[in-house]
Amino acid sequence: MNEQPREGSSSGEGGISESPFAEVEAADSSEMDLGSGQTRMEVAFGAGDGDEDASAVVAQRASLGILFEQIYRPWDGELGPRWVRNYAIFRHHVYGLFTSKGHRYYHPFVRLTIVVIMLASLTPIAMIFLSSTIAGSGAGSDWLTRMWGVNRYNLWGQVLGYFPRNLCMWPVLTALVVGGMISDDRKNGTSAIYFSRPVTRIDYTAMKYLSAAVVLGFVIIFSYVLYYTTSIVFRGEGWAFLIDTLPIFLGGLIAGILLVITYTSIGMALSSLSQSRFFAAVAFLAIIFGTKLVALLVDVQFDTSILYIFSPYDSLAHVGQWLVGIPLNYSHPLAFSIVSILVFNAVSIGILVNRVSSLEVTRE
Amino acid sequence: MYGPHMALDDVNLDLPRGAIGILGPNGAGKSTLFKCLLGLITTTSGQGTVLGYDVRTQGDLIRARIGYMPEYDSLDPDLNAIDQVRYSGELSGMNPAAAMQRAHEVLEYVGLRDQRYRKIETFSTGMKQATKLACALVHDPEILICDEPTNGLDQRARQFMLETLQRTVKDGGGTVLMSSHVMDDVQEVCDQIVMIHKGRVVVNRSIVDLAQQIEREVEAVIWGGASKMEDALLDDGLKVRRLGRVMRVTIEDEDTIQRILTVAAEIGVQVRELREYEPDLEDIFLLIMEKLGSEVKGTADLMTSAHTGGDSR
Repeated sequence: MNEQPREGSSSGEGGISESPFAEVEAADSSEMDLGSGQTRMEVAFGAGDGDEDASAVVAQRASLGILFEQIYRPWDGELGPRWVRNYAIFRHHVYGLFTSKGHRYYHPFVRLTIVVIMLASLTPIAMIFLSSTIAGSGAGSDWLTRMWGVNRYNLWGQVLGYFPRNLCMWPVLTALVVGGMISDDRKNGTSAIYFSRPVTRIDYTAMKYLSAAVVLGFVIIFSYVLYYTTSIVFRGEGWAFLIDTLPIFLGGLIAGILLVITYTSIGMALSSLSQSRFFAAVAFLAIIFGTKLVALLVDVQFDTSILYIFSPYDSLAHVGQWLVGIPLNYSHPLAFSIVSILVFNAVSIGILVNRVSSLEVTRE
Repeated sequence: MYGPHMALDDVNLDLPRGAIGILGPNGAGKSTLFKCLLGLITTTSGQGTVLGYDVRTQGDLIRARIGYMPEYDSLDPDLNAIDQVRYSGELSGMNPAAAMQRAHEVLEYVGLRDQRYRKIETFSTGMKQATKLACALVHDPEILICDEPTNGLDQRARQFMLETLQRTVKDGGGTVLMSSHVMDDVQEVCDQIVMIHKGRVVVNRSIVDLAQQIEREVEAVIWGGASKMEDALLDDGLKVRRLGRVMRVTIEDEDTIQRILTVAAEIGVQVRELREYEPDLEDIFLLIMEKLGSEVKGTADLMTSAHTGGDSR
């Protein structure tokens, strides 16, 4: 039947072309399914023309009517040790900053702000590079070096300078990164995903803390280290410069690490208090700026710096000044600020541990 | 202990492979039992092992071999389903490549193959429940704990979830512990129940065994004088439970059915249906709760809006 329409469609010997409908009428209607329109289809598309011997690859297991076949496939792989799980938590939180696919979601505004803060913290490098391009030791080069080159004040300022770093950049960075670390788990109930697995609360807390600290460190410490090393490279400094400045640099590095740890501790504690990342972020900014402002007002009014021990920034700045070796501008003893930093961290970690231990797997 | 409260007391359980329903009224200790099984809370006295590991000291080893599907939302709304399940696998200790491959498999298994790249925040309740199940299954656990797996599901999603759990027991060869207030769900999936009341295990038997213990009844649908029929049956010395026009009469001997028909003929009422009543798990549960002195009138009393599709928060 397949070949008939095709044969019929060929021109007659007289070369007179005929209508396809006429060809259909001429065909043996007993072999044609006229009612189904099959004939027209075959005429139109030439069905049966060369596909008699064709074969198709078809599913071997599919049966009529089954669109979805539910098969449980066992998994016989080996589960990794504790570090594999911990690294997964760390990766989930840190990689999310770089790629939104598959890891913790950071809002594009947050990521953009972090990039801006990162670039802003690197601006002295551009100025040092500029000074290195000015030939000789003219006034312009000297001025640029004095303003942005490596010295005690600039190393201190790179980490602990109040404006713009500790007024604008570091607190905002901390608030954005740490805000949802724990509060999101409390809000979404995702703590159950962690604690119903072989993840201990210590692992959970430590890896979240480490993730936040690494992100903060990546901006604060990395920009500091880059500032110091590029100034050596750009200005072609030698061993003498290194011997002179390395102790100052290391002092500033310790101050930077203290700042990252303290800010992370306070931020994580606040994040664990609430289900709202907004609360944690705003509360962190309030603590940093509020304590500073109150202590400053008291200092101005009553000429005493003792209240600065309640300001995390000022306690860090006080210790940082001592580590870098610049004159202290606080009148209270340094030991008070050291104790203050220890207390800030201890209290924050205490709150964090307490709140994490209250995260539930099953809800009563 | 939970503060001053005894959450579980003198619990002695030996659970075989298969599907086991964990039943009990609210606050009975079901969640605490799950926490114990997961090695998350230390017992104040006694000892226990799960899969051969001590619940007091080897919780992490236990949790590596258990899958837990929580009752409430436990998914990150900003993640795709595939990433959520992969991350769950990684948290169990799977390497990222294996976790990703396995995430594809289990999401297909729970019916989310075409939705796996969608954000969880766009999921319906049924899809979220399926994702939670996939998270629990990603590392192919030996024991799967499902806390109210049909919460908030419509009929179609509920049926699929129950069939999936049945298949998991049958094909996966493991154990499923399922807690639910919907007795039909438990009966459909489980062979055995553990009933907890005030922190104690009051029943740990197969459903078939329990059903056999209940007195056999015949159910008669009466038309044209149900109250008259009830009185007449009671006068005839039969034990009757009446639910509107439906009478459930305890079968005392072979003549019970004949006596019902005779009484109906004498007082002039129609018996439109007459069949032997097979007690279901709901009857068993209510009977046991009644014997324990509980005031539970029906399993609906135990449900919250979360069980019936309302907002769980």
